[in-house]
Amino acid sequence: MQTPEIFWTVILWMIGWGVLGAVLLRRRYLARDLDTSNVPFAGAMAGAALGPVGVGLLWLRTPALSARLTTALALLAVVLIAAAFSFADPENNCVANGAFRASQITNGIIIGIIYGFMALGLTLIFSILGVVSFAHGEFYMIGGMLVYYITVVWFPDAGPLMGVLGACFIAFCIGAIFERAMLTPMYTGKIDRPVEYGILATFGLAFTLQYFVQAIHGASPVKVQRFIDFPRFEWPAGAETPVIATSRGNLTLFDTVSISNPRFTAAVTCILVLLALLYLLHRTWTGKALRAVSQDREAAAIAGIDPNRMNMLAFALGGMIAALAGALLVQAFSWLPQVGAIPAMRSFVIVVLGGLGSLPGAFVGGIMVGLVEAAGTGCIPDAQKAASYIPAYGMIVLTLTLLLRPTGLFGRRFSSGMHGQGG
Amino acid sequence: MTSILTRRGLMLSAATIALSAGAAMAQDCPIKIGALAPLSAPGTVVGGEAMRDAMMLAQADINAAGGVLGCPIEVVLADSEGLPERATAVTERLITQDNVVAIGGGYHSSVGVAAKEVADARGVPVVFAETWNDTITGDKHKYIFRIAPLSSWTSNINWQFALTLPDIKKVAILTENTDYGIPASQETAKGLEANGVAATIFSVDIGTQDYAGIVERIKAETPDMIITLVTGEAAFNFTQQAADAGIGPMDLPFQTGQDALESGTYWTNVPDGQYAFVQRIGVPESQFTDKGRAFAAAYKAKTGKSDVESYAMEAYDSIAVLAQAIEEAGSTDGDAIVTALEKISHEGTLGRIYFDYGLKRDPSADGKGDEWWHQWPDPAITIIQFQKQGQASTDAAIVYPEAYKTAEPIWVNR
Repeated sequence: MQTPEIFWTVILWMIGWGVLGAVLLRRRYLARDLDTSNVPFAGAMAGAALGPVGVGLLWLRTPALSARLTTALALLAVVLIAAAFSFADPENNCVANGAFRASQITNGIIIGIIYGFMALGLTLIFSILGVVSFAHGEFYMIGGMLVYYITVVWFPDAGPLMGVLGACFIAFCIGAIFERAMLTPMYTGKIDRPVEYGILATFGLAFTLQYFVQAIHGASPVKVQRFIDFPRFEWPAGAETPVIATSRGNLTLFDTVSISNPRFTAAVTCILVLLALLYLLHRTWTGKALRAVSQDREAAAIAGIDPNRMNMLAFALGGMIAALAGALLVQAFSWLPQVGAIPAMRSFVIVVLGGLGSLPGAFVGGIMVGLVEAAGTGCIPDAQKAASYIPAYGMIVLTLTLLLRPTGLFGRRFSSGMHGQGG
Repeated sequence: MTSILTRRGLMLSAATIALSAGAAMAQDCPIKIGALAPLSAPGTVVGGEAMRDAMMLAQADINAAGGVLGCPIEVVLADSEGLPERATAVTERLITQDNVVAIGGGYHSSVGVAAKEVADARGVPVVFAETWNDTITGDKHKYIFRIAPLSSWTSNINWQFALTLPDIKKVAILTENTDYGIPASQETAKGLEANGVAATIFSVDIGTQDYAGIVERIKAETPDMIITLVTGEAAFNFTQQAADAGIGPMDLPFQTGQDALESGTYWTNVPDGQYAFVQRIGVPESQFTDKGRAFAAAYKAKTGKSDVESYAMEAYDSIAVLAQAIEEAGSTDGDAIVTALEKISHEGTLGRIYFDYGLKRDPSADGKGDEWWHQWPDPAITIIQFQKQGQASTDAAIVYPEAYKTAEPIWVNR
């Protein structure tokens, strides 16, 4: 960085006014007997983005702090950080190299979509059962392993679609059987501490799955060939800089941004399955029943919904979503019995960042973490440190968010507080 | 009176002899030798399993040949997980609970750095098999020996080989932030920079899976060569993702991680890995000793692998060296084993193993650095290249150094 003093002066200025904004405005809103739930976050963003002007305006006018206003202030703060960075380090690739910048953003969004998709399964389980599944990473792992075994070892003629569907089906069954066999004591009142019981039971499942796979398969990493080859395509044809050009294993945008085939197919599949999931949750009776149970178990039970059945469905569906993420990524990454540990940790971060139990929060949180990781890896001037702290970037965003908004970005209080009980 | 004294003296002598013999005869059987290997993540499990198989073969071979001090040996495995804190705990357990008399194996340098302190404090000899960090022997601990090369030697080979690339100006080094990767990358960069070649080090966590951001950053640096100092499947992930992005082994000179020596796994995980260079410890298979050839055949039969990895050979030798030292010491006492190790001449799978420097002769006597303490001086270090798709590492061309060279390197896109 050429002039780090510029960058750090701006950051200190933003932190100073951000803290002042959060503290002062909360007092102001309290004094006026207004809703303060969103004030620390909005106040901090106003202070960080606009300094005394932002804090002063909110102080004087105390407007309703809508999501739109808060988002605009947060985006402005991000733009200010980016501008300060550009002035301080004009030769950094993130500033001077447009193609590099576009590649990093694209990679961040693509991997963020996959992160968000995986976290979706975790948040679905939490929103219905009130339990954080510590076996989520192992469902991800068995998804990839099953695709390998189905398409390479057991049925070499089976196509990747059969492999992915088979992996999803088996993961769904494992989730459903485990929920029936091990988690039902949580709902019957036989357990004093149902949440702790649920966590320990899923821990047990995680160890069982991981060591079972290691005992059967061993520790050699495996991988499957990419599921599909892109057809050779260029649009506009013959152009010097085509908007889209594909080869069998790659897709290139504007002759600058290169996306590998496995990542692209994984991200597109995640989006399609997400749309199907949203349809399930919002347009079908089963989905509405799931949402009803997540909002109020007792009311749902009175309306004729069996919450225990929804518990089983949610756990099986959540596990299947993680398995599907793994099934799609086994064509991109080398796969081991321990491969789920880091994605599981990342999913926990995303779920808390997005707001416990919030499906949109999980997805947006995933994309945010993907982008922050891409920015950190690409822009931190010291190459030796930039990639060393990949897992820490998400934690920094999480810490800042929780400081200012303890419920996460889209969080709500856990309505039932029943942790799977009732009905 | 004289006869009484003589008789008493004879009885005392007889009792002493009987006690001594009894001590030797009453040796607790089996004799237990600890074996460190990473058998769980985040350690390099593929390396750990290879070492485990090799050390169990060593146990079988030694017992088939009559064991040690009249007892069979038992190799007690301990999973280091590639973590220093875990290494400390399992080394403590091996010594205090499993009652091992010596320890072999060891893959990750960070494990060696941590385990050596525990073993030395407890007076239990260790022969490290595959831990490269210079300080492991450089700290001059009485009970610590090593048959793997020093990190500084392997780094020298890396940068010296890179300098043979015509018109080389810039090298990107991807390293894991461990006791192996950090010094190795710094020494490699130092050697390159001293010869007018720019080097940029990119450091990652040991289990990193997604390299998209780093690959783009390396691509933006437009290096003439990439050197990977990462172990395990992380190296496979990086190499294939670099290939997907157009900077893989088929696009520019690219040295991948050492785990590519298990070439079946390498080709499964890195289908676009042709022309990759790999550093290999030990002479090529065509120059193996009789013992090396016998081990390679037994190892391949046991594991079903097409290659024998150098760390498997080192692991086998670490147990065999200890067994011979115990036999020659005539005792399982730590000090006696150290004395025997300092004098040992062991015909191993890697060649003749011996230790020039130690308690009797300090490295400084010959103007050498502390890292030569209890260090086997002769491990061969070569660079091989997969010049054909799907090639076994034992069939791959040896392209450096001149002494072992079997083919010229293929410099892609030059």
